Amino acid sequence: MLTQRIEIHKLWDGDNLILGFSIGGGIDQDPSQNPFSEDKADKGIYVTRVSKGGPAEVAGLRLGDKIMQVNGWDMTMVTHDQARKKLTKKNEDVVRLLVTRRSLEDAVRQSMMQH
Amino acid sequence: MMQIDRLADMEEKLRILEDLNMIYIRQIALSLKDSDIQKKIDYEIRMREGACKLLAACSQRDQALEASKSLLTCNARIMAYMSELQRMKEAQVMQRVARRSSDAGPMDDRSPCKAKVAISDLRIPLMWKDTEYFKNKGELHRCAVFCLLQLGGEIFDTDMVMVDRTLTDICFDNTIVFNEASPGFELRVELYSCCSEEDYSAGSTPRKLASKLSTSLGRSSGKKMRGALEPGACSPTSNGGGAAILLPVPSVPGPKYHLLAHTTLNLSHVQDSFRTHDFTITGNEECSYWLPLYGGVCCRLAAQPHCMTQQMMSGCLRVKLGGEPQGWTNVYGVLKGTNLFCYHQKEDMEANVEPVLTIGINKETRIRAAEKDPHSKAQNICITNQYGGEEVMHTLAADSREDTQHWMEAFWQQFYDMSQWRQCCDDLMKIELPSPRKPAIVTPKQGSLYHEMVIDTSDDIGTVTDILARRIEEFDLRSQLGSPPHWMSLFDEDPPRSPHSHQHLPPHSPSPRLHSRCHRTPGLLSSNASLTSDSDSPTSVRPCFRQAWSPDSNSSSGRFRPRTLSLDAKLSTLRGRGYGGFRCNCQPPTASSGSPRPTQIALSCSSSTSSSSSSEGSNSQESDLGFSRPSSARRSLRNLRAKLDPRNWLQSQV
Repeated sequence: MLTQRIEIHKLWDGDNLILGFSIGGGIDQDPSQNPFSEDKADKGIYVTRVSKGGPAEVAGLRLGDKIMQVNGWDMTMVTHDQARKKLTKKNEDVVRLLVTRRSLEDAVRQSMMQH
Repeated sequence: MMQIDRLADMEEKLRILEDLNMIYIRQIALSLKDSDIQKKIDYEIRMREGACKLLAACSQRDQALEASKSLLTCNARIMAYMSELQRMKEAQVMQRVARRSSDAGPMDDRSPCKAKVAISDLRIPLMWKDTEYFKNKGELHRCAVFCLLQLGGEIFDTDMVMVDRTLTDICFDNTIVFNEASPGFELRVELYSCCSEEDYSAGSTPRKLASKLSTSLGRSSGKKMRGALEPGACSPTSNGGGAAILLPVPSVPGPKYHLLAHTTLNLSHVQDSFRTHDFTITGNEECSYWLPLYGGVCCRLAAQPHCMTQQMMSGCLRVKLGGEPQGWTNVYGVLKGTNLFCYHQKEDMEANVEPVLTIGINKETRIRAAEKDPHSKAQNICITNQYGGEEVMHTLAADSREDTQHWMEAFWQQFYDMSQWRQCCDDLMKIELPSPRKPAIVTPKQGSLYHEMVIDTSDDIGTVTDILARRIEEFDLRSQLGSPPHWMSLFDEDPPRSPHSHQHLPPHSPSPRLHSRCHRTPGLLSSNASLTSDSDSPTSVRPCFRQAWSPDSNSSSGRFRPRTLSLDAKLSTLRGRGYGGFRCNCQPPTASSGSPRPTQIALSCSSSTSSSSSSEGSNSQESDLGFSRPSSARRSLRNLRAKLDPRNWLQSQV
């Protein structure tokens, strides 16, 4: 599992600071509905959408990434709302994420093995 | 290992006993030649098997709770039918006439009419104490509850409600109607509760099995059986209590409901408004399924006796109007409820025309057969009522002696019914017919059970979509602005028409779905078909895609079929959740032939069809779909409920 540090500079969109992606997951959510997780019991926070050309994409965040930390705060054991709040603090215009991403080779190898 | 052997042995014995029980039940039903009950029993047995299978198969808690509830209800119903069968068998043996008849017997053995009894708006107040909060340390103690209602042989369950500290009352919106209740009816209301955080593994199986076996073995003694089949007892208590003699609850893992409170309502509780009744609470604070009930239950219990809703008697009559001794008017009389309606003619009644005369028939009315009128062969009927202190008398006559007798009989029966049904006959109580209810076995919510059963997490489809999602990201990383991968164009809105059935892409909904995220998957499907092919020729790839993709194409070969069906299901569930994750072309890549492909995915076939921007357009549609929920989701109570609802998988835009 490779991890990556991603630094996203928030962007002003009217009155709001946006990052340009969406998250799903959380310990209060149903993990089996997460299409990105390898382990269907994984209640972590995943990136479910990346806006085209947005700050997140520019910074290197990708669809399906699992967010492990946000500015040092752990994201593996948080509720959905807690995660959202950590990302949308108004006084922060930069968030540093630690994310993991299943490498393509692993994924394809796994799928091939299952045939 | 001896322990396990013994366990398995006991399980086997239990299963045999269950089968024997079923055979016994069926035998009784058969011997009584009562196909009605037998059909019902068979139906319930099948439902029960279904519920057991569902319980064993599902892993989501709310589905397990629903299945367990269905199981309990089925068991209760089977028990009720068994009781009825037993009674009928007894009656047959003693050579008495079956007691189910509701026809008017001979005059001195009058039986009251039946009624429709409805219970609705059940509300059970709760009494949360401060100590509850501290005990749980902020953790929400949740229970799943539902009510089981039994009247006579009919058993109904309400919907399941999740209860926690945030509720002040448990409310059940269901209206439950029992037909064919007699005045001495007993409506048993039972509240079942199941803790929602329980670990459902059958940790105490050996004990349960042992208790079930011991009670099952004792079933042959008639006394025990009769005790268990007492009409009052609604349902077998969980975990093989005494009443489960004939139907030990199969030891499937899963949530088990426990009786938390019960009460029995009867005619005296019937009223055309809400009333509070006492609730007898079983269990105590130590039980996992405990809820702090206030001790009462509010509901509206209404009854509509047939004598109030149906025409009890109708026929031609002559009535004396006014003081004129000879002034007989022919009318068509209808006795219904508390009135005798006299219509000008029968057709008027059917056409809802106002009657000529309405005579009240109620508890204060006195009816007698008058002396023989010298002018007619039959006796007159005199009906006397008190209207505001004044006595008003109507005189009626039937056409023949027999008719007179019938009318008198009808009046007597009406009076008898009213005396039996008491307050229900003062005025007609309104009963709202409930809307068609959900079937007992829960239908998959949002396709999630379907999702579970059809798509396994180890199924390659999940990883297929994941892989392709990353695939696109890889494209994005490595390329500049350009056209989307060539194979994407295969799933354009208007595919080239081809007479060949293999190449037929269904023109309806799959197409736009494809654009957003699904189009990638056929690539891998075709890779399944031709595992290592890295073919460059566009034509050879195309038929593969089409064939693999079209979910309802008749021409798809057998080995593709299971995959495409499940793929379809997976994708529709994904889409159905408004899941907007798969934006395919954030940065549409250039000619994909340039990018090195690490594997044998047939996607690498570099068909030279050009891209179109239609995929982009539909993507933005998709993205709107994906975004619409998160943006409004943050601020309303709806969101709070959605967050607490384990069925939704929330996404938030940041």
